[in-house]
Amino acid sequence: MALIELDHIGKMYDLGLSKVAALRDIHFAIEPGELVAIIGQSGSGKSTLMNILGCLDVPTTGRYRLAGRDVSELSDDELADARNLEIGFIFQSFQLLPRASALENVELPLIYRGISKKERRERAIDALERVQLADRMTHKPTELSGGQRQRVAIARALVTQPSLLLADEPTGNLDSRTGEEIVGLFLDLHRKGNTIVLVTHEPKLAARCPRAVRIVDGLVIADGPGRDVAMANAEAMGAEVVAQVLAAQAAAEAHAKDA
Amino acid sequence: MATSALPPLRAKPKHLGLIRSLVRFVAELRDAVVQAVRSLLAHKLRAALTIAGVAVGIMAVIIIFMVEAGMASSFAKQLNSLGPNTLYVHKWAWGVNGKDWWKLRNRPTVGQLDYRALVANTKLALAIAPVAETEAVVVHGDKELKNIEVNGTTEAFLESGGWQLRRGRFISDLDHELGSDACVIGADLEDAVFKDQDPLGQRLKVGPTTRCTVVGSLVRKGSAFGRTQDGLLVMPLSSFLRSFGAKRGLVIAVVAPAGKVMETEDEIVSVMRAARRLGPDQDDNFSVNRQDKILQGFNQTMMSVNIVGILVGVITAAVAGIGIMNILLVSVKERTREIGIRRALGARRASILMQFLCEAVLVALLGGALGVALGAGSAALIDILSPMPASIDPRVVAGGVIGSCILGAVFGLWPALSAAFLHPIEALRHE
Repeated sequence: MALIELDHIGKMYDLGLSKVAALRDIHFAIEPGELVAIIGQSGSGKSTLMNILGCLDVPTTGRYRLAGRDVSELSDDELADARNLEIGFIFQSFQLLPRASALENVELPLIYRGISKKERRERAIDALERVQLADRMTHKPTELSGGQRQRVAIARALVTQPSLLLADEPTGNLDSRTGEEIVGLFLDLHRKGNTIVLVTHEPKLAARCPRAVRIVDGLVIADGPGRDVAMANAEAMGAEVVAQVLAAQAAAEAHAKDA
Repeated sequence: MATSALPPLRAKPKHLGLIRSLVRFVAELRDAVVQAVRSLLAHKLRAALTIAGVAVGIMAVIIIFMVEAGMASSFAKQLNSLGPNTLYVHKWAWGVNGKDWWKLRNRPTVGQLDYRALVANTKLALAIAPVAETEAVVVHGDKELKNIEVNGTTEAFLESGGWQLRRGRFISDLDHELGSDACVIGADLEDAVFKDQDPLGQRLKVGPTTRCTVVGSLVRKGSAFGRTQDGLLVMPLSSFLRSFGAKRGLVIAVVAPAGKVMETEDEIVSVMRAARRLGPDQDDNFSVNRQDKILQGFNQTMMSVNIVGILVGVITAAVAGIGIMNILLVSVKERTREIGIRRALGARRASILMQFLCEAVLVALLGGALGVALGAGSAALIDILSPMPASIDPRVVAGGVIGSCILGAVFGLWPALSAAFLHPIEALRHE
């Protein structure tokens, strides 16, 4: 059984005067153990998709089954529980509590799981060891580098043993070298059997994933091996750049004629 | 990267079991308190100002209620000094307001006939003392004391007023029968006139013509209702009436046996009515006064003090509460991202609500504790500096602490609800 089943998902935003479709008819499934990149430009609907995958939001049409359970019509509390049980979030901006130590940050989701204090500590230390941060446990986020902060966030996502790791531009706020470390960490987690969904706009990152899904204007327009999808994406983006350059040139010429 | 050696988390239940829910609640509460403390410590000045606001409010309320309690207890003490079981038969009714004045004014005075009727016909009364009163100048040698309260009475006065002898003897019934020149003086008078000498046997000039011999003095009783009770001179009623005029009205003090005050009052009324030959359709033309009549008047005063106290309390609570609401709204704004993070990690709305209610209650509690401490401090100060006894009741402490908690919860509710109902995605995006 697939871990994630998206059954013709649509999401409409009601902006009062007009309705905007952020997602239209998204339909695919993700098996346990997969590493899938979701790529698309800003405004493509990939963030909306990520929010739905992460149970932060519900689709307006279609069905979303996570680990065999339909989450499209869950109550707010049930969604919160589903996030705690099934999802491990990793955000672009890390989203750590600024006033709490690394260890406390990692313990946080276990509080909502109802785990005793002793076990929380044990598991949080274990998770931090797995991302090689055992020596920074008592540091506050402000005392850590960007890469270290993202490792804390990954430890926090891992500590609940979720069925899905959901990473939103995890390397977006990192320099290329630390970004590379984090990507390495994800690939390693994938090899150990974790299911990971990476949301990114970087074709380079998508190219290293076994599978990539490309979203444009709320529609899946490519689904296949990461390399192929990324190439197609790059070409499409390249064509767009060429078109934009041509348009700019034409405008400049028109402007010159007027003057 | 090392793989976890820990066992997998227990199977994921659809709902948390009772024990897990409990563990979760305790952990959330602890976390909420820790976070609230951190949030306050991060903005010490802001927190301190709000706490000070709550503290001043709580202190004001405590002081008002303390002063009130002080008034009530000193009043009760003074009232007791009148003798708790003594009834006073008088032309005037105590605690009467203006509109009855004309009616009472035209009553006959209570006189010796009434006294004799009561002595002859009451069975319950333990002691009956007729008291006539005037103010006079008392002279001894070159010492002259003005406005001395001179009482003409009988032996029963001692019991009816709860007096005790300090020296010598009291006026006896024989003194009254004979109209002797014996007199007994209060502690103030003794101290003022006979400092460092034995007053017994000394002669005093009372008023323009009368001369008395001091036969005893009374133990100090202290002041009641703002004036001293010890500046008095007691002489036999017959001597008093001879000196100051026989038509003076009396107050007849009747001591009732404990627990039979009502029956005694009824008896007095019937004896008085019979003595005065009042028909069944006629109203009493005398009053039987009891302490609780004074108490009624006092309670009316206290009620208005109470209303003022409650009003001040409500206003200060509102001001302090608005302070709490303000600090909490700022905190919700600042911690919006944190709300988003917690929601993403599995916090329910109730968890977020609790988080911010904890912060509100913590601020209020700190303010309340400080306010109670300040209130206790001012109680001690009032006790030392003013004649009024002031002490802080443990119930006031408990009330201050619990009240401030409720204050925090009430005024924190709206900001906390607004935090709980933030959409997690919006909260996460908040800069």
